[in-house]
Amino acid sequence: MSWLPFAHALVARQDLPVPAWLFAWGASIVLIVSFFALSVSWRAPRFEEDRWRPLGAGLSRALLGLPVQAVCGLIGVFLLGLAIYAGLRGTEAPDRNFALTFLYVTAWLGFPLFSVFLGDVFRPFNPWRAVGRAVGAGFTALAGQRPAHLRYPEALGRWPAAVGLIAVVWLEIVYGASGGVAVGLSPHAAAVAALVYSGYTLMMMALFGVEQWCRTGEVFSVYFGMFGRLGCFGVEGDRLGFRRPFSAATKWATVPGSVAVVIASIATTSFDGAQEGAFKNAMESTFEWFVDRGIGLTTALRLTDTLFILLCFAGVGLVYLIGVRGMASVPGAPSFRKLRDGFAHTLIPIAFAYLVAHYFSLFVFQEQAQFTYLLSDPLGTGTTDLFGTASSGIDFRLLSANAIWYVQVGALVVGHVIGLTLAHDRATAYWGDYRQAARSQYWMLAVMVAFTCFGLYLLSVANA
Amino acid sequence: MSYAKRVFAVLLAVFAMAGLAACGGDDSSDTGSAGNGGGSGGGTFTEVPNAEPTITVKNGEPAGGVQELEYSAGDQVRFKVDSDVADEIHVHGYDLMKDVPAGGSVSFSFPAEIEGIFEVELEGRKEQIAELRVNP
Repeated sequence: MSWLPFAHALVARQDLPVPAWLFAWGASIVLIVSFFALSVSWRAPRFEEDRWRPLGAGLSRALLGLPVQAVCGLIGVFLLGLAIYAGLRGTEAPDRNFALTFLYVTAWLGFPLFSVFLGDVFRPFNPWRAVGRAVGAGFTALAGQRPAHLRYPEALGRWPAAVGLIAVVWLEIVYGASGGVAVGLSPHAAAVAALVYSGYTLMMMALFGVEQWCRTGEVFSVYFGMFGRLGCFGVEGDRLGFRRPFSAATKWATVPGSVAVVIASIATTSFDGAQEGAFKNAMESTFEWFVDRGIGLTTALRLTDTLFILLCFAGVGLVYLIGVRGMASVPGAPSFRKLRDGFAHTLIPIAFAYLVAHYFSLFVFQEQAQFTYLLSDPLGTGTTDLFGTASSGIDFRLLSANAIWYVQVGALVVGHVIGLTLAHDRATAYWGDYRQAARSQYWMLAVMVAFTCFGLYLLSVANA
Repeated sequence: MSYAKRVFAVLLAVFAMAGLAACGGDDSSDTGSAGNGGGSGGGTFTEVPNAEPTITVKNGEPAGGVQELEYSAGDQVRFKVDSDVADEIHVHGYDLMKDVPAGGSVSFSFPAEIEGIFEVELEGRKEQIAELRVNP
């Protein structure tokens, strides 16, 4: 039984492993930067206040006003509808169907990318929020009163989003298996999943309220919104404003379960990278162990993948919690719980760096498909050519292997630096005494070095 | 730097060196095994000038597992496919397609100008027969 973890049905090309010399350089830079971080340090927090400054009132009114919001919502609903329609009615060839590339590359990877710079750009385009608000407004107009909602259980927090995040990735890289070989998700299955998710989301919005569910339960709002906290534009009240980059992240993890969301993000990306290299042999043995127990090939493969995703989640979580436990031992530390939630946002840059490291080349290549043949021929029938680009293809010469390596390693190093910065800043806010704050940061530094070097290691052994 | 800081810095440095050394060791052994055609039953062709490696397809599957073809950018990629089934051979990324008749063979020769790892597939059966690796 050969082991072919071809996770992405879309990928016609895979990245070469980062060479040993670049791995060594990357890891060395990470360590040097970290030592530097121990010596230079500001003593009062700088990011705890976002210094939000409103943009022009006219611009705010125009962008946040009903017409623009309605148009954005309609665009979101139209694109989701198109993806579902293409998935149900279009070709079953995953790379020729609009559905998979749009849902799992353009939206799933594109929103984090734009969000880290701009802020929460998904919110206006969120199709479920748009439908929910429209239905709510209709109800209010007909019934003459605002719809009543159940109280959302506070303790549940963002846990539904964390579980949903793992489920979304699971669907993409685990579910699409057949005969013991991962063949990737079919467009039809993706469309059905999108329909099921839409039904579930609208139901939850009806139960708990649109904005409440978007804040804590709706997977995409929570996940993209998390990256949006790093971006420099934000809405306060009914005004759009400019804020200090990264500062909004400091208030992100105040909702229970937020830690689980960011850990799930790092864990799922790690799993996807590791199955091509670091975990390959262990997964192969586990798979064979299941098969030897008389479990069918497809089930055995899914069980193996599921087990390793959960192991990644546990592993990443454990490393973080050990760091938190260490910090809690420093004199003057707040409670374990406060520390655990208080430093969760420092992992957001690391989570984004992992995304860039693992999916940068996929995104660049697959977006060429998105804006050429998938746009002109969304169903992949071969007979439609809406914009005259149906016969164009992906130019794989666009990025050399060296360019990809430098972006991958560079992203991990930059993510590491931003993570350290946010952690140091939070420590100065929690510890009155500056020297104790610095001591507590040895622990977070160790956690960050572990994540960054693990990320580099994954790149160096993937497809090796 | 305080005493505690210095002790910590030294400890971290030692761990880092140990980690680097360990990972470096892993790396060299990995590349070694890959070069010798390790992995899951795949074979590697050593690069002999003008040699044309042959991939044999039996019952619609590559004999001896998925074959590995490794080149450096700028080399001329050459290989032949002997197949007992009629299908279309698709070199992904380079997007080259050639039909092969049942019991016949087909040859490929093209410059390795795109870096990365690409699938060579029996398009009709969706069966990967080789992995083309182009290093920079």
